Amino acid sequence: MRRISLIDIAGAIVLVAILALAPMFVSSNYLTGVLTVCAVYGIWASSWDFMSGLTGRENFGHSLFIGAGAYTAGFLATIWSTNPWLSLPTAVGVAIAFSLLVGFPTLRLRGPYFALAMLSASAILQRLCLIFWEYTGGEEGLYGLDPLIKSPLHYYWFVLAVLVVTVIVLTLLAQSHWGLLLRAIRGDEATCQAAGINVTFYKIASLMISAGFAGLGGALYAHYQLQVSPPLFSVVVSITVIIMVYVGGIGSIYGAAVAAILLTLLTEMLRGFGEYRLWIYTLTLMLILFFLPNGLIAPLWRRLTERLR
Amino acid sequence: MTDLLEVNGVTKRFGGLTAVKNATFTLKKGEFTGILGPNGAGKTTLFNILTGFMQPTTGTIHFNGELVRELAPYKIVNRGMARTFQLTRPFVGMNLLENVLVACMSPRASNDKDKEERASYLLAQVGLGGRDKEPVETLPYGDLRRLEIARALATRPDLLLLDEPFAGLGSGEIEQLAQLIRRLHREQNLTILLIEHKLREFMALVSRVIAMNFGEIIAVGPPEEIVKNEKVIEAYIGKTEDAHASA
Repeated sequence: MRRISLIDIAGAIVLVAILALAPMFVSSNYLTGVLTVCAVYGIWASSWDFMSGLTGRENFGHSLFIGAGAYTAGFLATIWSTNPWLSLPTAVGVAIAFSLLVGFPTLRLRGPYFALAMLSASAILQRLCLIFWEYTGGEEGLYGLDPLIKSPLHYYWFVLAVLVVTVIVLTLLAQSHWGLLLRAIRGDEATCQAAGINVTFYKIASLMISAGFAGLGGALYAHYQLQVSPPLFSVVVSITVIIMVYVGGIGSIYGAAVAAILLTLLTEMLRGFGEYRLWIYTLTLMLILFFLPNGLIAPLWRRLTERLR
Repeated sequence: MTDLLEVNGVTKRFGGLTAVKNATFTLKKGEFTGILGPNGAGKTTLFNILTGFMQPTTGTIHFNGELVRELAPYKIVNRGMARTFQLTRPFVGMNLLENVLVACMSPRASNDKDKEERASYLLAQVGLGGRDKEPVETLPYGDLRRLEIARALATRPDLLLLDEPFAGLGSGEIEQLAQLIRRLHREQNLTILLIEHKLREFMALVSRVIAMNFGEIIAVGPPEEIVKNEKVIEAYIGKTEDAHASA
């Protein structure tokens, strides 16, 4: 993996500054809200990229960790009515617990088992939410969460800060020796074994890290919407996240975060097109993935900055 | 000298086919042994069993006095038995240094604090010095074999298993690689078990031969004796005309 150079840091600072200052120039709660969702998706996409992008084990049920984090926040607020800030660390813990539950039996296996297991695990949790509606509120979900921070603008800045920290932490990990091992696993598991590396351990550990950040993002989302509902567990959420990573350029982490922000903005901007919105969105994605199989954001950034490195 | 590896009655069946039949042998510390046999004799299967990539149907394997059967391959590596693959399996998309670095991260190499320096040193040792940043994709076959050896050495093995290191190489490359292997054996007192089906390269290298045919060990002894052994000649050249006539 490429080392971070000064130009990368400069680019990141400019982007974060634009994102942070945007609501001050266009003062509208709507924009602040959209940007908050953008940042949340950024956390989800970069956390997916860390595990699946580096190890090549596609996780088709990232919504499991997202939903687990969000519902943890929901339960803490509605049943135990604890200090809302407690929901962040608890959501991380619950999401990690779920990653161990699914990861242990499936990550030892090769092939598509892990992807399928994650897909079905998230679907099962969505069903369970409906079956145990007395506790989960069924289709309606849970209402009445307290906001973490009263001012939407300040909350947006907080979520953006979490995204920045997430991307920094995951990038540093990906560039460390640890990240090298994860990329080796993507390359050839048998060679890793021959090199004395406990492949299963590293796969499970990276899934735990990925799940922890996804759960954190889930709880942040819950405290933005002030409610949680079963669609959080849906396949649509997982697939949306995966598409964002592919558009960003798989394995780059920052690309996933930027693509998540841009695609979320694109979805919002297309609202004016009404029914045609999904058509345009899907067509754009298909064109990007067809003509740029390595993604858009990360390869483009590398190209633009090649001479400055 | 003590026995480093003790293989007892190892048999591997795939359905009706017996790939390895009742293999029994020992390796002493510091020994350079070769497994000889024509294609399909069960050599690679035996290697896969020793290194934990396959489980034997029956039989036991002791390494350094410890039963290693049913241990995961990476655990066996961390007990000091490293291998190379016949079809080299580098990590594509990584440079030479990174390829070796992965193995420097194994628990057995935990005493090597500066991983980069160690990996770079190992590359130099196998004759790939100064090429740390080169991508593996452009590497010729002979160099890939060297890379495999560097990766195996990174786990600080007591026993090194080389699976047909000369396959597909030109004679010049073979001579250089043989020199490297000989040097490792001599300078590091490394115990080596090498598979090969090419007689010539092989005989010049090893001090003891285990000859296999159809999954069975048919002869064990020094190379001079093995080349005269009737069963070995039969396996390689076919039966003599007399034998054909009487059969």
